[in-house]
Amino acid sequence: MTTASLTSSVGAASAAPTGEAHAPRKPGGTRRRDRIVGLLAVLPALIMVVGFMAFPVAFAVFISFTRTNGLTYDWRWFDNYIALLNDPIVHQVFINNLKFLVSVPLVIFTALIVSVLLFERVRGWKYFRVIFFLPNVLSVAVIGIMFRSAFGYYGGVNQALGLFGIEPIQFFTNGTTAIAIIILALVWSGFGYQSLLLLAGLTSINPAVFEAAAIDGAGWWKRLWYITLPNIRRVLGFVFIINVLYTFTSLFGFVFVMTAGGPGFETTTIDYLVYLRAFSSTNLGSGAALAVILFLFIGILTLIQNKVFKLGEED
Amino acid sequence: MAEEDVVISLRISSRRSQLPIFISLLVVAATILYPLYFVIITSLRTNADYLQNPFGLPGEWTFENYLRLVDSYGIGQAFLNSLFVGTISVSIVLVLASLAGYALAKLPVPGTKFITATFVSVMLIPGPVLIIPIYLMLARFDLVSTYAGLILVYVATGLPFATFFLTLSFRGIPDEVIEAARIDGAGFFRIMWSIIVPMGSSGLATLAVLQFLGAWNELIFAFILITDDSMRLLTPQLASIGERFLTDQPLVSAGLFITASIPLILLAFASKYIMQGLQVGVSR
Repeated sequence: MTTASLTSSVGAASAAPTGEAHAPRKPGGTRRRDRIVGLLAVLPALIMVVGFMAFPVAFAVFISFTRTNGLTYDWRWFDNYIALLNDPIVHQVFINNLKFLVSVPLVIFTALIVSVLLFERVRGWKYFRVIFFLPNVLSVAVIGIMFRSAFGYYGGVNQALGLFGIEPIQFFTNGTTAIAIIILALVWSGFGYQSLLLLAGLTSINPAVFEAAAIDGAGWWKRLWYITLPNIRRVLGFVFIINVLYTFTSLFGFVFVMTAGGPGFETTTIDYLVYLRAFSSTNLGSGAALAVILFLFIGILTLIQNKVFKLGEED
Repeated sequence: MAEEDVVISLRISSRRSQLPIFISLLVVAATILYPLYFVIITSLRTNADYLQNPFGLPGEWTFENYLRLVDSYGIGQAFLNSLFVGTISVSIVLVLASLAGYALAKLPVPGTKFITATFVSVMLIPGPVLIIPIYLMLARFDLVSTYAGLILVYVATGLPFATFFLTLSFRGIPDEVIEAARIDGAGFFRIMWSIIVPMGSSGLATLAVLQFLGAWNELIFAFILITDDSMRLLTPQLASIGERFLTDQPLVSAGLFITASIPLILLAFASKYIMQGLQVGVSR
């Protein structure tokens, strides 16, 4: 490498340590070398991601068109998809997922209240922020088992009810109460992080707007309704979408440790059904087809999100 | 900081009206802290004591539950297994993502747009989609029920965010510094080690904490891919204990606290880094 080509730089003119006049960047030499070095540096990460994330998706699509036990693949076109669409269990599970959507307004409402409270920046708000974030560092296994224990026959909730002379309730033998408890776990573990997302949105509102409103005599509630909420509608929309996505893709852990999908299939979600089909049925193709349907569904939701909220252009 | 100025001007509510807000926050905080307090206290008493008086302080403090978990249910081994898998996968992610992040941030990599798009779009792949194909792929390579297979999965699923995150944080390093080092004859690895790593240390620390938490807390792949009992990681082990000992709340509570301990310690000592990572999560 020649020293002449090494001194080439763009945008570093003021800081160039050599006192010489600055030559414009040369196209060959270092630059070509940089391109090769750069590509080599990216390659290991890229290979891992393509090999173990992008390729598996393509593989899943392939599997979904076959009847397979993992060893031999028997091409069956859309048989798995047709079977799924006519499967009453799949219908029930999809409706279960819709029931879990109840958690979305609950989480957002709680997060909104908490973020508005945090926004007032009372003494110690930074500590509160860390406390509210706490459930996010815990495993779904921990949160799920904690709620399962708390609402179990010997759990804290039944013990507390016992103090009032109420007989223990079997929360998990009834689909509706079981779903309600999983939703409670979702709200408990999710509202903190989302209140911080909303807080970031609140912080980006121009303070002058608040001052002007305060001078005009707008009270706290009026400011909340007419200034704060309209100004964070974008973040609200974003939070809404991630919650919906979460309901369809990330309930596996909770369902797995809290109810194992039962009673019957009453708390089984789509992602849990993918797992059930994969490891307790003789046809992996069916599970893969369900996963692909889920993937398409998520993809469409994400596209809608990008179209509607255009997050990239925010701020 | 500028932020402090903003804080003052935003504080439109008077001192007097701050008390109800403070109290409300306190109530919300209690809904998070009380369950954890309950778990910790319960884990330190005997089952008989719990059934008699679950809400008071233990009649007799005991570590018996923890000892039982370690002696009879392999929690100690599972803890070490999780620590091992977490540490190895985080280290690999940090190395690979630093290389890629530096290149994407500072070098003229051909096809940068395409590569970045790949990293960003695979972040949208829902976990359940990967279960079947990854299991079959690892089975083909004889990597099911080995740590190598599991670590491979953790590295691959951690890398997209890690690379994206480090690309952003390395962009903040001034070009002049790198250029000066090159003029002094420093090569790729020299620049990486003596400029990028020290100047990007805050981003690297944030990423290390986040990735470790991710690996430590992961449940699905840890459960599916590790079938050998003595190799089990902590989260699947906890799940099976939670299922088997419904009648023994103190024992389950001890398991919960052991699993939660490392994340809680990280949050206590590295909350700054965790919160920084959060900001990037938002801008995504």
